[in-house]
Amino acid sequence: MADLALARPRRRTLRLRSGHVGTTLAALVLAGAVLAGLAAPLLWPLDQSAIALDNIAQPPSLAHPGGTDDLGRDGLHRSLYGLRVSLLVGLVAAVVATVIGGLVGGIAGLLGGWPDRLLMRVVDTISALPHLLLGIFIVAMLRPSLGAVILSIALTHWLSTARIVRSELLSLRTRPFIDAAIAGGASRARILRRHLLPHILPKIALATTLMIPHAVWHETSLSFLGLGLPPHLASLGNMINDGQRSLLTGAWWASIVPGAVIVMVTLAIAALAARWRDRLDPRVRAELNL
Amino acid sequence: MATMSRPRSRVPLLAGVLAVATLLFAGCSAASTAESGAAGDTFVVATSGEPDTLNPVLGYGSDGASLIFDGLVARDGNNALVPALAAELPRVDGTTVTATLRSGVSFHDGTALTARDVVFTYESVLDPTVDSTLRSDLDMLTKVEAPDASTVVFTLKYPYAPFLQRLTLGIVPAKALTGQDINKAAFNQRPIGTGPYRVTSWTPGDRLQLAANDAYWGGKPANRGVVVAFVPDDNVRAQRARAGEFDAVELAPKQAAGFAKTVKVPTADYRGVMLPMKNPVTGDLAVRRALNAGVDRAAMVAGVLAGAGEPAYGPIPPTSEYAVTQDPAATPAATILDEAGWVAGADGIRAKGGQRAAFTLMYPATDSLRKELALAVTADAKKIGIDVRPEGLTWDAITPRMTSDALIMGFGTPYDPDFVSFKLFRSHFAEQGFFNPGSYTSAVTDKALQDGRDQAAIEDRKAAYATFQKQLAADVPWVFLTYLQHTYVVGDDVAGVTPRVEPHEHDVANSLWWNINTWTRT
Amino acid sequence: MIKLIRRRLAVAVPVLFATSVGMFLLGASSPMDPAMQYAGAAAFTTSPENMAELRANWGVDDPLPVRYLRWLGNLLQGDLGWSTTRHEDVAAVIGARAGWTLLLIGITLAVVLAGSLLLGTIAAYRRGGLLDRGLRAGAYAVESMPVFWLALAAIAVFSLALGWFPAGGLTDVRATGTGVGDVAHHLVLPVTVLAVSQTPWFLLFVRDSVAESLRDDHVLAARARGLAGRTVLFGHALRTALLPFLTLVGTHLPELVGGSVLVETVFSLPGLGAVSVQAALGSDFPLLAAITLITTAMVLTANLATDLAYTAADPRVRIDG
Repeated sequence: MADLALARPRRRTLRLRSGHVGTTLAALVLAGAVLAGLAAPLLWPLDQSAIALDNIAQPPSLAHPGGTDDLGRDGLHRSLYGLRVSLLVGLVAAVVATVIGGLVGGIAGLLGGWPDRLLMRVVDTISALPHLLLGIFIVAMLRPSLGAVILSIALTHWLSTARIVRSELLSLRTRPFIDAAIAGGASRARILRRHLLPHILPKIALATTLMIPHAVWHETSLSFLGLGLPPHLASLGNMINDGQRSLLTGAWWASIVPGAVIVMVTLAIAALAARWRDRLDPRVRAELNL
Repeated sequence: MATMSRPRSRVPLLAGVLAVATLLFAGCSAASTAESGAAGDTFVVATSGEPDTLNPVLGYGSDGASLIFDGLVARDGNNALVPALAAELPRVDGTTVTATLRSGVSFHDGTALTARDVVFTYESVLDPTVDSTLRSDLDMLTKVEAPDASTVVFTLKYPYAPFLQRLTLGIVPAKALTGQDINKAAFNQRPIGTGPYRVTSWTPGDRLQLAANDAYWGGKPANRGVVVAFVPDDNVRAQRARAGEFDAVELAPKQAAGFAKTVKVPTADYRGVMLPMKNPVTGDLAVRRALNAGVDRAAMVAGVLAGAGEPAYGPIPPTSEYAVTQDPAATPAATILDEAGWVAGADGIRAKGGQRAAFTLMYPATDSLRKELALAVTADAKKIGIDVRPEGLTWDAITPRMTSDALIMGFGTPYDPDFVSFKLFRSHFAEQGFFNPGSYTSAVTDKALQDGRDQAAIEDRKAAYATFQKQLAADVPWVFLTYLQHTYVVGDDVAGVTPRVEPHEHDVANSLWWNINTWTRT
Repeated sequence: MIKLIRRRLAVAVPVLFATSVGMFLLGASSPMDPAMQYAGAAAFTTSPENMAELRANWGVDDPLPVRYLRWLGNLLQGDLGWSTTRHEDVAAVIGARAGWTLLLIGITLAVVLAGSLLLGTIAAYRRGGLLDRGLRAGAYAVESMPVFWLALAAIAVFSLALGWFPAGGLTDVRATGTGVGDVAHHLVLPVTVLAVSQTPWFLLFVRDSVAESLRDDHVLAARARGLAGRTVLFGHALRTALLPFLTLVGTHLPELVGGSVLVETVFSLPGLGAVSVQAALGSDFPLLAAITLITTAMVLTANLATDLAYTAADPRVRIDG
């Protein structure tokens, strides 16, 4: 996962600074995307298997703002549904991956010693395998479906969370306030609940958020190789894959519209996550007070 | 990591979006044409299908036109059989087929062709330890013998009218393979044949390089060599074609639009919906007939195939001499369903006796053409009140469900009506693998198919296949949708291109370049 | 250092063993029929008995432990097995392709490292400057784009519109050999695309860690002593940032391999990428296992190399195997 960094706002002024504009824009894009995804089935239901052979490859117009693809399906309409699927895949996969990673990292970090070394060796081994190849194997094994794609992403993306949790726990264990708590007679559970979790939970949440764009790209790549969701369902990956064929015949919108949706939404998520991280990181805050 | 950048993050963000937009739009302004340099007289052709072996025994170019090998017989521009390694067309006498070899033919390594090579080739195919799927095509063959160096005698289990069509299989030199494990021989990558070209190198995943065989028995090739580039991805092939890399290349029909010289080649390759008899909805004749009448084949040809195809009404292609002109159903689909008691419900979907007119239509998920046809059928079925649910699956998931769920299938060979149809529509092949998975049973069809292979006289065979086609049209075990056309883009300066009806399988062998040894540059 | 290598080897063998078992289990639960994959389109006209003969010839219907032990036994004798999808010795399949994949990844890695170190350092030095903002904007934008998409865009612009570079393949289609210049010309686009898609990660990391180390005490001290900006930047700040960067390279290598699968597919390069996808889909155990083992071994070696470099760069660091 990338250590993404966007500049943080200069917070000592009340004027709406450029930094805020960026954040606001990102937040608006994301909120719009989520709302559109949620509301689409109610306001603008889509028949996934409907086609219109008398209306194929129409450039964007008022009737079809996103154009139509080579089967006459509305690009914008399907992009909205694709976004729904992608966000769902991304979110579920990221949460599953975080749970796996959090458990493994937590056990390793809390226990230390040989369980730590063993688990970290496992993590190293799995991370030595190319994620995409591993993901391909998993999907090929389970047959392409929504569940298989989610599992494929989750099983290849938990490693970084495990590493983060473990190293956070290890470094926390050496902090004086933990020593103080132990000296004060606090129970293990209490230390975990009161002192460790509050420190690592925000970081885990952040890692999960940063994972969502990766999960979306992973789904797109699987679809590109023909291993994603069943191809007649609207997913952004499937749509780009379909649209590529039209690129050469001049129907650029068929891949641009879903592509632009991916880029906008993942950029927004990444930007918000980065801003959030800047706020979380105590060292950054310390510097601010200098 | 911590950052300490200036608070001007709006700029990177917006600039990021802009950069994306620029790239996106740059991506679609695909301008064309970079002219290929005059490259002597080596031709470069490109195809998506790369053979995984170059050994005919293991399946390479079994229908002839393999450029590297010759069979006892070959096919001309009309797909009529002509003698090749046999001096004349082999003589058929009931269950005995006798071929006399052409004299003076030698392999690329200089050794002379003898009857022993022919016997070795066919015996290898029949050997169960050899990983060859051609054995299924030669199940009528009992033994092959060579009474002398230039005569080959085939003995059949039963009279089989189209047997000569099976003799297009390329002949391999016995010397090069005797005593080896044919499945793993180095020969499979660097083969030795008698054909117009010999292999100089094969880089799997990239290209096959062929050099002219000046000693070719059919005359010295008109060019110095052929390079076959393997480009599996449709987009990449089209882009490389735009860059002018190929003299001839097969493209997806929609991508071939805009090129100066395109050739559409008719094929015997059809697509259709297999309707299983054991499904309560597709097992009803009225539903099958209504679907057959309700699908808009012309719209599929125009919309899905971009014009590169023609409507299909049966398994024998219109280009075949056995084809009977079939009229599209005269009765409208709605009338058929009404008369049979399928009544439309509140949601527009018909039902009869509590059974909703709904069924699942499977298609292989990796095949975008079958996906689009499945969606087109779904849309047409909805108009006549039948609810079709398309489902994209992998073959392993499809196979166990074929007996009860409809499936988009494709088959077709231009050479003889017996080849595929016998196994596909005869009742005793019901539920045997991909043969007749829908358990179609008809005594009339069974007899017609049997007559077709038993009778030697062409008039009798034509009559049998006419009966077969009529019965199929009445029973509708399949809704035939379209015959495909293969679309090629050919360079301006290439002369000698002679399209002929193609089978489904076409790669190095059996493509537009089946006679590339006569191609020249203008 | 010898001790480190020895310890790593002691770990690598069980890791490779576990990986091979895992791969076999994964492959064994795949429902794909290798005989059907082998037959291709002919599968639909081949009789079920004929297919059964094929499977019997390969022993693919044997129980899994039998297959695994047979494979392991052959492996110990130096025989990687027979690829059922490629109809060739696995060693031959890999031998013909691994070189090109390694070349692609090697050159790309060099470009990525050089590019991200140089650009990242400069961007960190001039934080908030035009270059910094531009680079970061570009990095975020590129990070949001699927690599196969970038590749298609690059082909559209540089091969079709401008005609500077070939759209795919390893050598000119008419070339008879593999000339260095020809291959280099064909590799420009794939390497650039792969490098561009991988660089943002490294670039942002370098930029941030250099920026951070610019605030470190020893760097501030060096600056206070009045050393030249360039000396401080490259001699002190970059040096401090280099250490975590080295480990990052090792952990990021599999990502690079994954990207190369897509890039090889788009540029039709005869590398390991396409063939491993094919092997996965055709449940080609021997090929799959061999590719996985070799990749794992490669990455483990690379990790070892980065750790060695780490110890060399900073003698204070002691690494536990």
